[in-house]
Amino acid sequence: MRVLLHGAYRGFAGGARDVTLDAATLREALAALVSAHPSLAERLRDEHGRLRAHLSLFVNQEDARFLGGEDATLADGDIVHVLPALSGG
Amino acid sequence: MAKQVVLLVGTKKGLYTLRSDADRKKWAVDGPHEAPAPIHHATYDPRDGSMYAAINATWGGSRIDYSRDMGKTWQKSKNPAFPEGSDRTFFQTWHVEPGHTKTPNVVWAGTEPAALWKSEDRGETWELNQALDDQPSRAKWVPGFGGMGLHSIAIDADDPKKMQVGISVGGVYTSTDGGASWVQDNAQTGGKEDRPDVFYCIHKLLAHPKVSGVRFMRVHVDVYWREPGETKWRNRTEGLPSTFGFAAAMHPRDRSVAYVIPLDDMKRTASPPGIGVYSTNDRGATWTRNDKGLPPGAALESVREGMDTDLLDPLGVYFGTANGDVWASRDEGKSWERAAQYLPYVTSVHAATID
Repeated sequence: MRVLLHGAYRGFAGGARDVTLDAATLREALAALVSAHPSLAERLRDEHGRLRAHLSLFVNQEDARFLGGEDATLADGDIVHVLPALSGG
Repeated sequence: MAKQVVLLVGTKKGLYTLRSDADRKKWAVDGPHEAPAPIHHATYDPRDGSMYAAINATWGGSRIDYSRDMGKTWQKSKNPAFPEGSDRTFFQTWHVEPGHTKTPNVVWAGTEPAALWKSEDRGETWELNQALDDQPSRAKWVPGFGGMGLHSIAIDADDPKKMQVGISVGGVYTSTDGGASWVQDNAQTGGKEDRPDVFYCIHKLLAHPKVSGVRFMRVHVDVYWREPGETKWRNRTEGLPSTFGFAAAMHPRDRSVAYVIPLDDMKRTASPPGIGVYSTNDRGATWTRNDKGLPPGAALESVREGMDTDLLDPLGVYFGTANGDVWASRDEGKSWERAAQYLPYVTSVHAATID
């Protein structure tokens, strides 16, 4: 599966845009993403491990909040989008 | 080497720098850094030439950036982080305060939620001041209109163990042991006693950089002065056109001089209409309006970190406004020239005097 980084998150990952990794759930995908790009750790989660505000996660074309959040299951060929949430109007 | 002045100007959309020589007539504007992040405060540390900026970003969390090369490049510190099990999460930084010259690697930060943080490695990592966090009175802190933040860190001129912090809305706490313990420090004299809640809404608390024990405090309502040895805040509002305001500064050499920008309590813009800087040369006993060069009648405002001074003689005084202006005085606040315009909403101005 692939993770596509958008907007500010590309900068947080040193310019990376497209990361290929193995994961069965969204939680595993984020952990693998942070392993590949440790600078994303504090950008994705606060000091208590909670996903930050103004972060949107989509699996293919669906908002992950409606797929079980971090428990959302992933399959080969899925694309996870890491997006700066629409903010400010 | 000739001195220069660098203004670190925080705005609601990034950090700008304004640079001038000692004449302070022309300013070169550079920026923004880290737009669109709001910058609540940025400061220069004269001990080693570092700069610090509170980058309060929407995406990816807020950070405190530091620069070791006069703002050419910036690095990101390890975030302030509340301990595991805390019910609070670091949201944003309101103020960064370089420590005393006797503690060369120490830098302090105040944040929202209101907490005090200490760095012992020149701003690279931050540790929560547990003693302040453990104050039972913390349960009574409440957010002001702008949030609940610790924004003032006043370190004594002679003794780095003597310091105060100001919290909105939580009042003043004093430590005499470098932050190992704290006591509430809200006794006042000469002020109105009918709104104790308002007195706890500290807007800016300053320690004189040269004279031990001298403090100046801008509160939601009224301004206060404290002389060495005093234990109460002496009300010094008489002579100002309103009781409300945010921006405040002290003269770095003359221990009797301070500056404020009064605002209307309800409109939150200059009162009377047309912004003016009010100065005292007698520790707040009397105040003088200074508006030569400022736009008559303009509904401007300057916020909490909006005013500062340089260290030159005659003194340079600077303030920023919500409409994106930066104003500069080269004659101790008597007259004013616009140093920059059309910036985003200015949230902070810090003047660095550099050899």
